[in-house]
Order: sequence, then C-alpha cells, then structure tokens
Amino acid sequence: MIYFHQVNKYYGDFHVLKDINLTIHQGEVVVIIGPSGSGKSTLVRCINRLETISSGELIVDNVKVNDKHIDINQLRRNIGMVFQHFNLYPHMTVLQNITLAPMKVLRIPEKEAKETAMYYLEKVGIPDKANAYPSELSGGQQQRVAIARGLAMKPKIMLFDEPTSALDPETIGEVLDVMKQLAKEGMTMVVVTHEMGFAREVADRIVFMDQGRILEEAPPEEFFANPKEERAKVFLRRILNH
Amino acid sequence: MLRYSILFDHWDMYLQGFTNTLKASVLALIGSLAIGIIIAIFRIAPIRPLNWLGAAYVEFIRNIPLVLIVFVFFVGLPAVGIRLDPFTAGTLGLMVYTAAFIAEVIRSGILAVPKGQMEAARSSGLTYLQTMRYIILPQAIKIVIPPLGNQFINLVKNSSVLGVIAGFDLMYFGDLISSETFVTFDVYIFVALFYLVLTIPLSLGVGYLERRLAKTR
Repeated sequence: MIYFHQVNKYYGDFHVLKDINLTIHQGEVVVIIGPSGSGKSTLVRCINRLETISSGELIVDNVKVNDKHIDINQLRRNIGMVFQHFNLYPHMTVLQNITLAPMKVLRIPEKEAKETAMYYLEKVGIPDKANAYPSELSGGQQQRVAIARGLAMKPKIMLFDEPTSALDPETIGEVLDVMKQLAKEGMTMVVVTHEMGFAREVADRIVFMDQGRILEEAPPEEFFANPKEERAKVFLRRILNH
Repeated sequence: MLRYSILFDHWDMYLQGFTNTLKASVLALIGSLAIGIIIAIFRIAPIRPLNWLGAAYVEFIRNIPLVLIVFVFFVGLPAVGIRLDPFTAGTLGLMVYTAAFIAEVIRSGILAVPKGQMEAARSSGLTYLQTMRYIILPQAIKIVIPPLGNQFINLVKNSSVLGVIAGFDLMYFGDLISSETFVTFDVYIFVALFYLVLTIPLSLGVGYLERRLAKTR
C-alpha cells in the first residue's frame, strides 16, 4: 500500500530523510517513534506529498507520489490526515468542516454528506457537537472532529501526525480510544506518536527513527522488550522511566 | 465667517463634482478590489511566473506617482490610438494604482492565515483554488478589513487626481468655482466638507464591519 525505496529528502543542506526503505501493507498499523527532529513527521507528510522527496521512490496506493503527471488531488482523497494542531476550519461548524471535502471533492450531495458526517460524529462520540464551532470544543473533541473529517472521505489510509501532542492529559485517552477502534476495524494507519502505551497495544509494527534514518523496525512486543539498537534502548529508557 | 453664498450659488457644480467623485470612487473601488485579489493570488500561488508577474505589477505601479499613471491613461494611450475621456482615464488610473496597494494588503492577510489550514484542506483533496475560496479567503477577509478600509479612504481622497486632467470631479469644480469667484479659502473648505461626506461614513462603515466580523468566527 505504501512503499518507500531509498528515499532521501533535503531541506537545503539539511538531510532530513536518509535512505528510507519501508513497506506498509493494507490494514497494517505502523507506529513511528523517535526523538524530536528525527524526521518522523516529514516521513509521514511525504506520503500525501505535503512534503516532496528529493530522491528515491515512493509509491502509495499504486501511484508514484512524486510523478509530475499524476493528479495529486485524486491520490489525496484516499488518504486522510490528522494533525497535531487539529487544523479545523475555525469559520465553519463541525458539520461544515466534515462535509466540505466530500461535497467539493467527491461531489456528494449535501444531504448524503451530512448523513455520513453524522455517522462519523456518532462514531467518535460527539454527535451533539455537530452545529458547534471548533472554538467551542475542547482539544480532545476538536481532534475527534478532525478524525471524523478524515474518515468522511472514506480513505484507504489514515495518517496521524502526533495527534495527541497538543492535548491536555485528560483528553488524550478519548482520542486514542477512537484510534484504537479504527485500527480494530482494519484501517491502514501510519501514526507518529509519543504514546508508548498506544504503540504497544495497537501497532502491528514499530518503526524507530533517529537523525533521519530508520534504525529499527519490529513488532511492538519485540521492540519494547528487546530493542536491538543502542539508540533505541536509550530512547526507551528515557521516555519510559520518567 | 464662511461665505455660504458660494455654496448655494454654485450648488449644482458642487453636486456634479460630488456625484462624479462618488462614481469614480465606487468604480475604482470595485475594480481595484478585483484586480488586487487577482494580483495577490498571483503573488502567492505556487506558480513561479505568476509570482513574478504579480511582484512586477506591485513594484512597478506602487512606486510611480498616481498622477503619472493617470497621465499614461489620459495622454499615453491616445498615442497608440486609444482615446479615453478624462473621467474614464482618471478612474482607470486610480483603479490600477490602488490595486497594487490592495494586492499587498490581501497578500499579507492570506499569509496571516495559519499554514495548517492550507495543509488540512489540500490533504483532503481540495484543489488550490477551492482551498483559497472556501478556507483561506474567508479567514483572510477578517484580517484585511481594517487595512483595506484605509486603502478605500485613500482611494476616495486620491480621486482628486481627476481634477488634474479635467475629470469633472469635486476638485475640478473647486478649482473652477475658485477661478470664477476669486475666492479660495471658502471654496475649498466646502470641497473638503464634500470629501468628508464620503470618507467619514466609509470610515464608520469599516469600523462597524470590523466589530461585526470580530463577533463571528
């Protein structure tokens, strides 16, 4: 479903991604962890071309992402994305936030788009907030709306870029619960997170990155019990024993 | 004491000037807003040649005196066979000139919308133009209302440039009345008052709009 082959990316002179090789299959939940600045977010943002790659090959849903001749909007409708800072549209209600892309991109009639939106709002547990504005919601609620907004496009892949990092501790759980549910239903998910509990419980595979490289790739039970790389051991020690 | 007889004796000239100034202002305002939005989008669209075109427009136009631009329309165009009456030439010059400033105001407003808005919209499959229309511009408008109001007020005052090329505006008739009556001070005070009749409501209107938009999201 997602295939990185020898992908490199530079910001000017700064080498952000180094020789990335990674394959993610349909229905897999891959959690990317690592210290900040290690290139995790950049890696995820390459998948829907919010960032372009400098060299190598990146194929998503059988499409060469960086090919000039592809219709990137066509690819993006199949990839939902959830951001650290939610990025809800502040001038629209929750319902409008969710129905916009289905109506404008997929040309779904308003009535049907609203029904779909309500279905996903039920699913993330806040149907009563349909007519509220984002500023009236808590962080956790906003992020659940953002997830519903992504799902309303019925994507094949969902990307999560530190979805709980901007949340206060009390609301992290409600967002993680929604993501767990989604994983159970077989969604292909790529998640950048510092939530080790989530990674351990939900991931099919952990990808550990440092300084732009993938240092280790392993199933969670193996990775957490017995990390092979020294850098991964140090990282885990630091974040698990505080 | 002001000589009010000047105002009453030349009422129809003042009124004609006022009407023409109002007309020129409204036309130039609508036109410069439209051109300004297009130039602003040129400047930030992810297409290099458009960026250059937009930047060239802004830098070229805003760094030339308004009077000269009006002259280009009034005496420059006839040289290539396009003849415009003074009112049209003046209004077009004013429109083209103000558009450069409005483009900059709108560009800064668009850039003030957080980057995540564009990313969220584009990652959902919306095109660049759809994102502009539904997400970025509605938020940018709120940001640009106050500086845009300044530009509009400047535009009304700058419309006095029409007087230079006999554009039958307030300033033109002010000059005319003054040369007929040999009165200067009183004549121009009344001209100033007519300008205030236009600019003060505009100023209040912008303030009202600003407060109203602040309440909505």
